[in-house]
Amino acid sequence: MRALRVVRAQLRASIATALQYRFEFAVEGALALLWMGVTLVPLIVVFGTRESVAGWTFPEMLVVLGWFVALKGILEGTLSPSLLQVIEHVRKGTLDFVLLKPADAQLLVSLSKIEPWRMIDVAGAAIILVVAFQHIGHPPAFADLLLAALLLCSAVLVLYSIAILVVSIAFVAVRVDNLLYLFQSVFDVARWPSSVFRGALAIIFTFVLPLALMTTYPSLALLGKLNLRTAVAAVAGTLLFAAVARGIWIVSIRRYTSASS
Amino acid sequence: MIEVDRLRKWYRVHRRAPGLGAALRSLFHRAYEDVKAVEDVSFSISAGERVGFLGPNGAGKTTTLKVLSGLLYPTEGRVSVAGFLPQERARGFLAQITLVMGQKQQLLWDLPPSETFLLNRAIYDIPRKQYDATMAELTELLELGPLLGKPARQLSLGERMKCELAVALLHRPKVLFLDEPTIGLDVSMQATVRGFVRAYNERFGATVLLTSHYMEDVAALCPRVMVIDKGRLIYDGGLSDLVRRVRPDKRMLLRLSRPVERRDLEALGSVIEHRDAEAIVQVSQDALQPAVARALSSLPLTDLTVEDPPLEEVMRDLFAQGRAA
Repeated sequence: MRALRVVRAQLRASIATALQYRFEFAVEGALALLWMGVTLVPLIVVFGTRESVAGWTFPEMLVVLGWFVALKGILEGTLSPSLLQVIEHVRKGTLDFVLLKPADAQLLVSLSKIEPWRMIDVAGAAIILVVAFQHIGHPPAFADLLLAALLLCSAVLVLYSIAILVVSIAFVAVRVDNLLYLFQSVFDVARWPSSVFRGALAIIFTFVLPLALMTTYPSLALLGKLNLRTAVAAVAGTLLFAAVARGIWIVSIRRYTSASS
Repeated sequence: MIEVDRLRKWYRVHRRAPGLGAALRSLFHRAYEDVKAVEDVSFSISAGERVGFLGPNGAGKTTTLKVLSGLLYPTEGRVSVAGFLPQERARGFLAQITLVMGQKQQLLWDLPPSETFLLNRAIYDIPRKQYDATMAELTELLELGPLLGKPARQLSLGERMKCELAVALLHRPKVLFLDEPTIGLDVSMQATVRGFVRAYNERFGATVLLTSHYMEDVAALCPRVMVIDKGRLIYDGGLSDLVRRVRPDKRMLLRLSRPVERRDLEALGSVIEHRDAEAIVQVSQDALQPAVARALSSLPLTDLTVEDPPLEEVMRDLFAQGRAA
């Protein structure tokens, strides 16, 4: 209950900060729309010459892309900015103030900065999904919708855990902005279903960097093609991953010795 | 309230010689060195005390404050604050302390201070009634009224510091760690901050441990001082005792109705300053009375005052003694 109040206050301050800059709001919003358009281009090019890729038809591929755009919006609208903020705290030594608060430090840094205009991505993703299902010809079943929603939560939790891991590394290495950019580039792969990749890449994108979990599984769920065992394994894997990330965070906080001054 | 027993804090830092070659070598083979930031420091502070923590840069003041506030693990020794082990960072502990750092700020840069207050109210779980009362009190003591609505980045340094203090004290902490709270402030703002710290201490019986480079702060606020140099505590006691111990001499400030010869002044003690209408002469404690009598009878005085040497000089001497020893 108290944690919720802290999150609410944090969100309030983050939104108030974002609203201070009207011009940025307009420009960033327009940019978000532009990028969404660009995201569609490779798909249209590929399906201009063939009917399906690795068993995925155009509308099915649109579903994957819809999830990708939504997650990208969530990642770049909430997790990435907050993460950069923490790295800034570490560099300037102001993380001390976070650690001095009688509340969970992870809770305090997780939503410290957000960019609400990235919600345009989420709205755009909804439109892409609607268009995709119009092509398919029938809406997803209710149970499949529920499962997809559950897997979306699990995908966000995985992204969040990766972010927490990156921040934990920041306590030791201080300069990790590049790691964040690397992650954003790798995340771009999630616009394709994991079965498009073969051999080593397929293994890496399923188990090492769980990109399959982020877009492929929720899409399969929505399309009614995901077997329950995979779904359960995915959720269990996510919880395990989140627990490990949390553990590493706690150890790193303990090791953290603030920049001397 | 605060107990420190044989505290030691060593940092491991990576050392290398200057130059690209050494930088390259250090990639493969790192040489580490222990920096002894705090060595065997013990003290105890009772509830409600105001204690000044003095020492040159790098003496270990900030490190000690960080250990006391739970930001750093002690390498050795026992530390207890308000009955807690600080390094465990228990919520009950964190809710009772505050750390103000003059060089760092916690105000949300883009937002008015009132937003930071609201955020901290949620974090410290302060009941609405207590929050309103504390806010009213802080606003009055620090004259915050006109500042609360302006974005923090548009406030002057002094205004920002007042808001920093208010944010740090919103939860009515019982222990205040103040690290250079007046750094960079002008004289009148320094006085405001000092007055406020004293008022808070008296009103809530809070314990205050303060570091400052401005001796005025310490002289005005702290009946007790601790002096640390190179990680070791070299003095703990009253401020006036410290001055007497380090610089047992006094200064006579003489105002003259007409210029006098330098040798007339030298007959009293050692001359520190000699101008037409003013002179400062330093004399030992024992020789003070005869020197005053002699000055009154032999010089064309309009005024005579006796002072301790400036605290800055006392400290300089103290650290010089420490180095020589």
